Amino acid sequence: MSQITLTAKAVARSVDCRALLPEALQGKTVAEIASIKLAANLSVADVFEVSVDTASEAAVTFKNTTSAHQYIGFGMTTGQISVTGDAGDFLGAQLQNGVLICTGNAGARAGDRMRRGMLLIEGNAGDYCGSDMMAGTLGVLGTTGAYLGYGMKRGTLLLAHTPAAQATWIDCGSHKLPFLNILYKSFKRLDSRFAQISSQRVQRWMGDMGGLGKAEILVIQP
Amino acid sequence: MVINGVEIDDTFAEAFNMRGTRILITAQNLRWAYNAANAMTGFATSVIGCGVEAGIERELSEDETPDGRPGLSVLMFAMGSKVLMQQLETRMGQCILTCPTAAAFAGIESEDIISLGKNLRFFGDGYQVSKQIPDANGKLKRYWRIPVMDGEFLTEETTGMVRAIGGGNFLVLGASQAQVLTACEAAIDAMRKLPNVIMPFPGGVVRSGSKVGSKYPKMFASTNDAFCPTLKGVVKSELDSRVESVMEIVVNGLTFEDIAVSMKAGIEAACGLGKDNGILRISAGNYGGKLGQHHFKLRPILSGEVSA
Repeated sequence: MSQITLTAKAVARSVDCRALLPEALQGKTVAEIASIKLAANLSVADVFEVSVDTASEAAVTFKNTTSAHQYIGFGMTTGQISVTGDAGDFLGAQLQNGVLICTGNAGARAGDRMRRGMLLIEGNAGDYCGSDMMAGTLGVLGTTGAYLGYGMKRGTLLLAHTPAAQATWIDCGSHKLPFLNILYKSFKRLDSRFAQISSQRVQRWMGDMGGLGKAEILVIQP
Repeated sequence: MVINGVEIDDTFAEAFNMRGTRILITAQNLRWAYNAANAMTGFATSVIGCGVEAGIERELSEDETPDGRPGLSVLMFAMGSKVLMQQLETRMGQCILTCPTAAAFAGIESEDIISLGKNLRFFGDGYQVSKQIPDANGKLKRYWRIPVMDGEFLTEETTGMVRAIGGGNFLVLGASQAQVLTACEAAIDAMRKLPNVIMPFPGGVVRSGSKVGSKYPKMFASTNDAFCPTLKGVVKSELDSRVESVMEIVVNGLTFEDIAVSMKAGIEAACGLGKDNGILRISAGNYGGKLGQHHFKLRPILSGEVSA
């Protein structure tokens, strides 16, 4: 297994990062990764410095990224991605499994159509966060934008800040949920601010009632 | 062989292959963990009438449980996997789901997986929530959150099932009922300190040992008359004139070694009271060695030989 670090170079255009998943990069050399095409006229070497270390787990770390870096972790099925910096739109969209941590802010549609796994955003999330999400856990420690959980079917949005009220999300009251202890225990293994959460008391909302309505937003209470 | 004046018979306990599982039960506090575990392991003394043999293995601290609450580990044994699965599901539904604040988790890893809360989730009537969360080793585990009147019932989806052994036993023979009971209590206290075993009978002790067959054609087992003190002289008795009471401790465990170690601890504790306190003999129950796959020979076990 290897730990792959991709340090972003300054860019004047958006960068589609969907090809840079742990499962896709495992076993590849620096030269092989650097030559991967991200667009017709753009390869990894044009926008990232690449380094590879052997590690016990398949992991990819993005450094110095900005809102220009879109589709990070798109469709990821295993391993871990850490983003130290901001991320663009569609962060962790269609996530199938694994853990994706973003220390900065995320753009719009973070976790869009996510099916499994954990997407943890330590900064703010843009509009349509968790849109059409099918399952999994999406945490945001910062603020969330408009249309939170739009069309969300199942899964959990774990928030540190109360979002704006929405007509299609129903307030189910404040509760102490035992499963959160197990979830927080799994956070403790991660190098993330999420490891510091301990309150089992949450405000629970169910939605999106415009669709299936089996999803939940849990707002951590002090 | 004599320990503290107590004679150890040159005989063996005959035990059987079983299927076993372990479940971790947690609750808001130990009182409610015990309420759940006592219900789950109630009416589980013998597979003959109860389907399973079950008991509380030990208490668990907050650090040892998946959800960080106090809890208990429960071992459950059955003659076959089908019965074990059926009984586990029924007991989960009637004893753990129903008990305020209780939650249940897998307590043993195995290639054989059986459902714990897998089918119980349908009690949630569509409002049940599945969560897959990695454990300390990064292995994904599936939990079910089922809305109930006290909040949420949390259970892991599955637990492991292992090959185990049931029916390790020894008999305590003494001069009076009270003295034999005291010796058995001492034995149980010592055995409960050991892992991977349970003593399924009330308080760990059984007074109605049985033999195979009966004078009544419909009965396949009946009282072990050779060890009944009130029948001395009438039947071919195993008891001499001094013995007035006999009690048996049955032990089920995950491995042969677990049972052998616990039998040794139990017998030594019972013998601790000695001949002066009316403890006269230690024997064991068997069927001539033809029925059970495992023979626990008392004297070698007490000499420290624990392997099969």
